[in-house]
Amino acid sequence: MLALDAVSFAWPGWPDRYVFELVVEAGEIVAVTGPSGSGKSTLLDLVAGFLRPLSGSVRLDGESLDDLPPERRPVSILFQGDNLFDHLTAARNVALGLPRDLPRQARARTIASALDEVGLSGLGDRPSARLSGGQKQRVALARTLARNKPVLLLDEPFSALDRDTAGQMRDLVARLTRANRWHTILVTHQQDDVDALADRRFALHHGTLHAG
Amino acid sequence: MASNRTHALIGWRRARLAAGLAVAGAIALLIVALLAAMAMSAGRGGSGAATPAIAHLLRMSAIQAGLSTILSILAGMAIAWALDRLAFPGRGLLVALFAAALVLPSVVVAAGLLSVWGRNGWINHMLEPLTGLSLGSSAYGLGGILAAHVLLNGAFAARVLLARLEALPANRLKLGQSLGLDALTRFVVLDWPVIRSSLPGLAATIFLLCFTSFAIVLVLGGGPANQTFEVAIYSAVRLDFDLGAAVRLAVIQLVVCSAIILPASTLAPTTALAGATRPTTWRDGPRPRLLASTVIVLGGLGYVLPIGGVVADGLRPSLAALLTSPQFRSAAITSLAVGAGSALLTLALALTLATARAASRNRTQRIALGLPAFAYLAVPAVVLSLGFFLVVRAMGLPSGTLAPVVLILANALMSLPFAMSTLAPPIEAINNRYTRLSRALGLTATQHFTLVEWPLIGRETGIVLALGFCFSLGDLGVISLFGTEHFSTLPWLMLRALGAYRSDDAAGVGLVLLIISLSVFLMVPYLFDRGRHART
Repeated sequence: MLALDAVSFAWPGWPDRYVFELVVEAGEIVAVTGPSGSGKSTLLDLVAGFLRPLSGSVRLDGESLDDLPPERRPVSILFQGDNLFDHLTAARNVALGLPRDLPRQARARTIASALDEVGLSGLGDRPSARLSGGQKQRVALARTLARNKPVLLLDEPFSALDRDTAGQMRDLVARLTRANRWHTILVTHQQDDVDALADRRFALHHGTLHAG
Repeated sequence: MASNRTHALIGWRRARLAAGLAVAGAIALLIVALLAAMAMSAGRGGSGAATPAIAHLLRMSAIQAGLSTILSILAGMAIAWALDRLAFPGRGLLVALFAAALVLPSVVVAAGLLSVWGRNGWINHMLEPLTGLSLGSSAYGLGGILAAHVLLNGAFAARVLLARLEALPANRLKLGQSLGLDALTRFVVLDWPVIRSSLPGLAATIFLLCFTSFAIVLVLGGGPANQTFEVAIYSAVRLDFDLGAAVRLAVIQLVVCSAIILPASTLAPTTALAGATRPTTWRDGPRPRLLASTVIVLGGLGYVLPIGGVVADGLRPSLAALLTSPQFRSAAITSLAVGAGSALLTLALALTLATARAASRNRTQRIALGLPAFAYLAVPAVVLSLGFFLVVRAMGLPSGTLAPVVLILANALMSLPFAMSTLAPPIEAINNRYTRLSRALGLTATQHFTLVEWPLIGRETGIVLALGFCFSLGDLGVISLFGTEHFSTLPWLMLRALGAYRSDDAAGVGLVLLIISLSVFLMVPYLFDRGRHART
């Protein structure tokens, strides 16, 4: 269980203060909606460790994540764009998430399996710059799969995709979350995403989360 | 009504285009006139007997410029990487000082290096009593030229590359940090692609600046063995009185510079001299941080010590006497007036060209409007000065009569490449974003400029004015052929003091030049930025 216990944050010089209370179960997708500037990305940055809370705690299965830097947190992130390094191949992008001491053969198997899982078998050698928007998001999801971290943070990941591709990506995220028992938080301002994916939904208003 | 407004808008876009093309044409015409004057003088200006060995000049200039470029880029990359990785007190000031390298007068930098590394410099003063060893005159010759070029251009490269690193999208950094990339992978995957894309333009600019280097080679060259074309032209005119040799050298340098500049003109602009810098929030491991700290300390000392040397040497009791002397006052007034004139002319030219370029969708027109920016790089200061010198002589005028005008004009042309690369991108972006809105609202040209463009380019305007002023203030190339005992600028006064072994006077003038350059470069963009915020 991922828990945000009264996690508070305020940007220096800004009067607004965020206070987040949230629980996400394994295999569950929680959607958070809110207008631009309401603090959706701030919420994700606090979970990912890019921001340090003023008070409160982020815990996974009872263990505090507060002292862990972003690179050591059990977290994967998917943004709206910029998820891949365009000058690297799809396979190399997936490989970036793997432990450095993983043997070469195991590494190759993991990458191939992850790309296969997201429907991109055979595209591992293709430069990322030559992939479509949907394919890029799939490669990023394959990397998430290969890393298999228990927390998945989705920051408007379907906003730049066309309707059909977004639908396919949503199905993929839902299936992988259930199968791998990830704790997934989706922030979005698109109702389609919420309707298709969310097990529970929250709206972010005046710095706090409201169920419904 | 709407139709009339649309016509008005199309009209002002045409007017801007016409103004820009007129400026580009005038600059082209001026360059052609100067070249024609040189061509006509080639046969009758002198015997040409004093022409030094061209092959030697070419080889030495190329070797010196090539080595300077490689070392500057390497130093710049290392310092940019280290600054990107570390947060420490004074980081902002250090970054600002590195940015100021572009406007530090070369003659002042040369004096600073002599103060630290020269026979009577700090290093020898510390080394000799302790070890009995001496570096001798290590600041002279190829080593000294390379050190000065790396000091100036390495710092410039560091500022440009740091800006590229800091422009990395935040999500990229978050992603890399979240993936736990180690320091080497981080550099290879995140940093290197943006650095690499900047290198061709940056290297071409630095190579040309070093190839056409004048003041540094004149002061630190240590004789004909290391001289560049610029110095050889100066020697031919001022020492040998052989205009024929000077013109021949100028023509060869023109050909070489043009051969470099034509392919380089397609490369992206490289200037990024100002803007807030952000210290990193993604800390590397202890070993990369130690390496970065070492780079900062060495790079910082290498850069700051010569500046400190200029300050320490300048603060002597004789400074008061220098500041009140008529020669100094006259040179200072000339420098400030010419600097202000050059700065305003640079801004006017750059604004006209940049707004015209933004208004045009025609590729040929856009190339034509971008070419004047490269006029100086292809036709460097001493060559430009020689052209003007010949025109003034051909008109039968005493060279002193038109000297201030020539100085303003030539220095404005010298600043134009940097002014254009500072102003053109934001003006292009503003017009791409707001032209349709202006069209819809029926704004006039004046309204579009005063309400839309001007408020958004405050800082860039300040940078252009500061660059124009500082380039002109520190110029030694153009004044080198026009300077006399009665018509002098501060750098010319300093050079003459150095040549006459009046080292106290030279140090005093160097200090004044340093203070004015740094103050103007650091303060003017800030003031314009504040002004913008106050208005909006």
